[in-house]
Amino acid sequence: MLKNSFIALLVLAFGVLLFHGVVKLYKVPEKLNRTAEFYNSNEASQIGAANVVTAVVVTYRGLYTLGEVTVLFLAASVIGFFLKRKKKTAPVDAKPAGSELMTTASKVLVPGSIILGVYVFVNGHLTPGGGFQGGAIIGTAILLLALANPTYSISKKVFHWIESISGFVFVAIGLAGLLLAGGFLDTRFLPNGEMLSLFSAGAIPLIYSMIGLKVGSEISGIILELNDTQPNQD
Amino acid sequence: MLLSIENIALASGILLILIGLLGALTNKNIIRMIVAFSIFDTGVNILIVTFGYMPGRTAPIIDGAKVTAQNIAQVAIDPVPQALVLTAIVIGFGVTALMLVFALKMHEKRKSLDINDYTDLKW
Amino acid sequence: MVSPYFLLGIGLGLAFLLGLLGQKARKSSSILILVALFSFVGISFSWLWQFLQENASVTQFFSAGFKPPFSIALQVGLHEAVLTSMINVMGLFSFVSLWRNMKDGNEKLGPILLILFMGLNMLVLTRDIFNVFVFLEITAIALGGLILFDEKKHARSAGFKYLIASALISTIYLLGAVLIYFSNGSLYLDDVMALNNMSPMAIVAVFLLILSLVLELKPFPANGWALDVYQGANPAIGAIVSAAIGSTMLFLLYKLMGMAAFMQEFLIAVGLISFIASNLLALVQKNANRLLGYSSIGQIGLIISIIGLKDILGDQFLFVAFMILITHFLAKAGLFWLSAMLKSDELKAWSVFRKKSVLLVLFGIFIFALIGFPPFPSFYGKWTLIINLAETHNYYLIAAILIGSFLEAIYLFRWLGYAIKVDFTEYDEVKINWEKLIPVLTFGALLLASGLYMAHLMPGIEDITLWPLLFILAIYLLDFLPAYIKNTISIAALAYFSFIILPPYYEKDLLRFIFLGIFAIGGILTLIAGYAYKGKRRGFYPVALLMYAGLIVLIQAETTLSFFFGWEIMTAGSYFLIIRGKRSMEHGLSYMLFSIGGAYAILAGLGLTFAQTHNIDILSLASVTVHAKLIFLLLAVGFLTKTAALGLHIWLPGAHAEAESDVSPMVSAILLKAGVFGLFILMIAMGKNPEVASIAYILGWVGALTALVGNLAAAFQEDAKRLLAYSSIAQLGYILFALAMMSHLGWMTAMVYSLNHFMYKAILFLTIGAVVLRVGTHSMYKMGGLIQRMPLAFIAVLVGIIALSGVPPLSGFAGKWFFYNAVLEKGWYFQGAIVFFSGIVAFLYLFKLIYSVFLGQLKDNLRQVKDISIWFAIPIYVLILGIMFFSAKPEWVLQPLSDMLTQWYPNTSLSFDGLYINSNFGYWSGTGVMITIMIMFIVLLLWLWILSRKVVKVKQFNIVYSAEAPQRPETTHVSYNIFAGYYKALGWIVAPKISELWNKISDFVVSVAHFGRMIYTGNGQTYLVHILAFIVVTFLWFLN
Repeated sequence: MLKNSFIALLVLAFGVLLFHGVVKLYKVPEKLNRTAEFYNSNEASQIGAANVVTAVVVTYRGLYTLGEVTVLFLAASVIGFFLKRKKKTAPVDAKPAGSELMTTASKVLVPGSIILGVYVFVNGHLTPGGGFQGGAIIGTAILLLALANPTYSISKKVFHWIESISGFVFVAIGLAGLLLAGGFLDTRFLPNGEMLSLFSAGAIPLIYSMIGLKVGSEISGIILELNDTQPNQD
Repeated sequence: MLLSIENIALASGILLILIGLLGALTNKNIIRMIVAFSIFDTGVNILIVTFGYMPGRTAPIIDGAKVTAQNIAQVAIDPVPQALVLTAIVIGFGVTALMLVFALKMHEKRKSLDINDYTDLKW
Repeated sequence: MVSPYFLLGIGLGLAFLLGLLGQKARKSSSILILVALFSFVGISFSWLWQFLQENASVTQFFSAGFKPPFSIALQVGLHEAVLTSMINVMGLFSFVSLWRNMKDGNEKLGPILLILFMGLNMLVLTRDIFNVFVFLEITAIALGGLILFDEKKHARSAGFKYLIASALISTIYLLGAVLIYFSNGSLYLDDVMALNNMSPMAIVAVFLLILSLVLELKPFPANGWALDVYQGANPAIGAIVSAAIGSTMLFLLYKLMGMAAFMQEFLIAVGLISFIASNLLALVQKNANRLLGYSSIGQIGLIISIIGLKDILGDQFLFVAFMILITHFLAKAGLFWLSAMLKSDELKAWSVFRKKSVLLVLFGIFIFALIGFPPFPSFYGKWTLIINLAETHNYYLIAAILIGSFLEAIYLFRWLGYAIKVDFTEYDEVKINWEKLIPVLTFGALLLASGLYMAHLMPGIEDITLWPLLFILAIYLLDFLPAYIKNTISIAALAYFSFIILPPYYEKDLLRFIFLGIFAIGGILTLIAGYAYKGKRRGFYPVALLMYAGLIVLIQAETTLSFFFGWEIMTAGSYFLIIRGKRSMEHGLSYMLFSIGGAYAILAGLGLTFAQTHNIDILSLASVTVHAKLIFLLLAVGFLTKTAALGLHIWLPGAHAEAESDVSPMVSAILLKAGVFGLFILMIAMGKNPEVASIAYILGWVGALTALVGNLAAAFQEDAKRLLAYSSIAQLGYILFALAMMSHLGWMTAMVYSLNHFMYKAILFLTIGAVVLRVGTHSMYKMGGLIQRMPLAFIAVLVGIIALSGVPPLSGFAGKWFFYNAVLEKGWYFQGAIVFFSGIVAFLYLFKLIYSVFLGQLKDNLRQVKDISIWFAIPIYVLILGIMFFSAKPEWVLQPLSDMLTQWYPNTSLSFDGLYINSNFGYWSGTGVMITIMIMFIVLLLWLWILSRKVVKVKQFNIVYSAEAPQRPETTHVSYNIFAGYYKALGWIVAPKISELWNKISDFVVSVAHFGRMIYTGNGQTYLVHILAFIVVTFLWFLN
């Protein structure tokens, strides 16, 4: 009890410090700072994507995205490596099937979600969304599928292949930017096209599609592996 | 104004941070600790988004009508915090997933999810 | 210049692709990864080449075709090239060392390792603050995965504790990054560094960034999680964490400090606290990996504080930081890799390395490198650091660094001692696989090579000091040869030195000539005794030569750096010689600790000197004005640890007595003179300074008391070698006393005593050592009557004790004569009386020595012993000739000495008049005395011989003793505790109070360490609380 109250005090102190150091100094900005100004003003002509955030994430600061993708890949690898130690023979009938509501709804929701996810990441440069968001939706769809139909075995190999290939293509596009355009992950080696059309913004749709596939397959892979490692008893 | 959007957002962000920290530091159950970390991350993300807020402006997405390629610098907010948050959320997800799997494997070995049971390496 | 994005492309591309290859193509995927890592190394080396050879300039590579701050930039400069080269080499060798682990179903290990190292490269190269966050997380997750692969017992909980700590720390960084962006609209490092006035929010942001990086570097006390990582993971992973990740994070901190000058003091404080605390707590560790973890945290703490000292160190900063960093990097990786070869985690298990001597040598190299011995890079780094701190008057920092280093020396040398001495039969055999051996060998070789190269570059180290080291390396490689060949080579080397390099010194500098002569000639003579040993005598010759090389470098040194260099090398060689004795483990350790303590005192003194004189010439000591007392005291104490003055003497009896038979004369007769030489130089340089007069007076008292205690203690010993060891302590007390008198006569006394002590102590130790080899015991009461079996030894010991006691005609009398003159002239009557009294006490043990060993009744088990080995007899009799010569014609030695001393003490009452030496108080003729006594001796000898013709020979037990007829030799030859009466009266003087004092100090330190380590409760959540508390406290401190 004493320890907990000490910890609470500590956290409170931290909160106070945050307040003093951050909140009190915060002022709502009147106009954009120079980086934002640059991005907003010039993005349309330079990159040609309708969604400026996408341009920032994929092109201007594409290295962040590469890092994120790597983080996910690492997490999926470690999890995959960690979990595969378990015996693969989980008794299939030990897992309870989903309720009828879930199984019926899933028949509609799963394909719909997958299409939605694909739509989100393909149109990442036009509407709010993008590779990560789309991939997350796909992952959720797979989760629903796994929960609703525990006997339905989904091939993890497919997901591994998609993951690897899409990642590799992403890096290849980046290098293509280095060799063919202005720098690493410069998406302008493909034509910018017309604003608001699907084939615009250079290589961004391609990149985001790769990312969407990668994230989706990674999340699905994680979920499926967790699914397979049910303990033998209870 | 005390109850302006940014104040509410800041307050909730900091509140979530503190709740998350408190949870992570006081809960004995490992899964709860991980959930608390998740809350902590969410709080930080809210803070980041708040830093991108500019009153009266809209999202930096060109739709040809309200936001065009010409007026976007005046009517849209800063796109960078959005990008940062995106990255932060994904990374947080990765870390959380890994922590959960660690918890799973720790439980498998020792049948306990109490963090006080894992003190073999010490001093 | 190759674009760094290729690093990114190759690393990530291959890692992603490897997912496709799966299980079957395991071998080819390993080869691909090896190729990729090779390409990393190639790229880094190409950059390095371009910067070093082609004078390239720092280049920034932008991404996405836009300039920063609108895109992310990677910078390649000289620093980045060096760091990435280090990291990539580490990556390559780590992968090699884990090669076998790759095969056992761990095909994910390869890509994870590849991405980890690619991430580390990016951290070094990036100029974007948020990018750092992304790659920090990559490092964290990759490391989390690597901790697991081995399935060591506690890997999972260690990995979890690491993950949660890392999550908290990186979120702090994230906050900082966001605030930086918010406050000034840019995430580009160069922009932020160029800010002139930082807004309050920017200051908070920078504070958070630096704080999180410091937390990543595991500062005390918020580092429990790190220790568990080191202990719980495979040591190869520990190597990666300590060497590669540690170096990267340090560089990152250094990079970001460019914008945070206000946090420099914080870094200095946190760094030094971690350094001292970690090394303190490491004292009580028994687990090798955890110990290495503490040591890593400590060293990294030192480097953190060096980063904080950037402005203070000025243009020396990069040199100091890099020297210490590269040593830590190479040595720690090597040690962890060595640990990976063993099954057991215990410290004592490392004794198994004795089976493969190259591993033991590597272990020794790493330990010596970490502590900062020459010729390793850390030596030059520490030297430059101390000198600079002294120049800027940061004396407390010097003290803190030396204390932390000393603590480190304690546990590292204790560990080395375990490896050299502990019985290894209960530990598993170590299997040496090529993939584990190559990295360790390479890093060891790199360490040596870089050290030698640095020695070549450093101003102040003459190239000539390096040749002995290279020679020693050659001898080591020839260690498989039989002993007599190596002995001959060694003697030849020393002879070359004696007859080629030495003679010119006679004109140049007589003082140095004398000491060099003692070391070189003494070396040859003691090495001759080595012919008595059969077999290969592995490991003896390199270290013996190391000691002699150090001695020679020491005397020839003209700069303080060379002097210190020689001092440390001599200490290293002598340590290994001493620890070869059968029961020498603890004595070796205490010898080393006192030596290192003394060396640090000398370092501090020399540093303070440099601070004023800005001159590394040795004679610059003369121009010291400020702090003269302190400098003199520090240097004196440093030299006195080598001469074993009272208070600092407790290591000597054990070290000299337990050493091998031919090592004891080396260390007792020869090595102690190094301290004497140091004192001479000190007195010469600073003697005229009026401030040191009071300290000299105290030193006189110390010398007198040392002489008294040493001689008394010797009288009560039953072990022959210990007796001689205490006698050495006493003799050096005389020399100290004589030096402290600071007059012409005083110094004559000191020189004469030094020469004499060298000769008669060598004779005594050699003879007793040879006797011990034959008889098999050190205890005098187990010997007796050996005059019948070992007449040669008897004569030698007789000459030795006559010389020591100062009875004419032998040379000891010369010393006594000068001594009395000097005391009367100086007026130190009371101290002189003590010394005189102790000289009389010396008769007690000298008598005991010869009586117990040679006279009396021969014991049954010794009836067949042979006389001492011819190889011992040769040097002994050469030295006897030397003594005879000196006794017969003393003025041939004394006159040049006197003339030499007049350069410092011109007014002397000594005059040399043919065969007579005159002083104010009287005169003496060595030749005359010798002739007189020789005539008396020969007359008496002839008369006895004539008488003995009529003698009746009687059996050994044809005696009646107190009306009993004994049958056994033990009952007639009483020699055990024969001075019991004296012990009752005077024994209180020699009670081991000083040993108790030192023991109390060390017990106290150990108990503090035990108390301190309790904060690491093992609970991951508690560690989180530590981190948060650290954050809050630091934040509060900064708000003020």
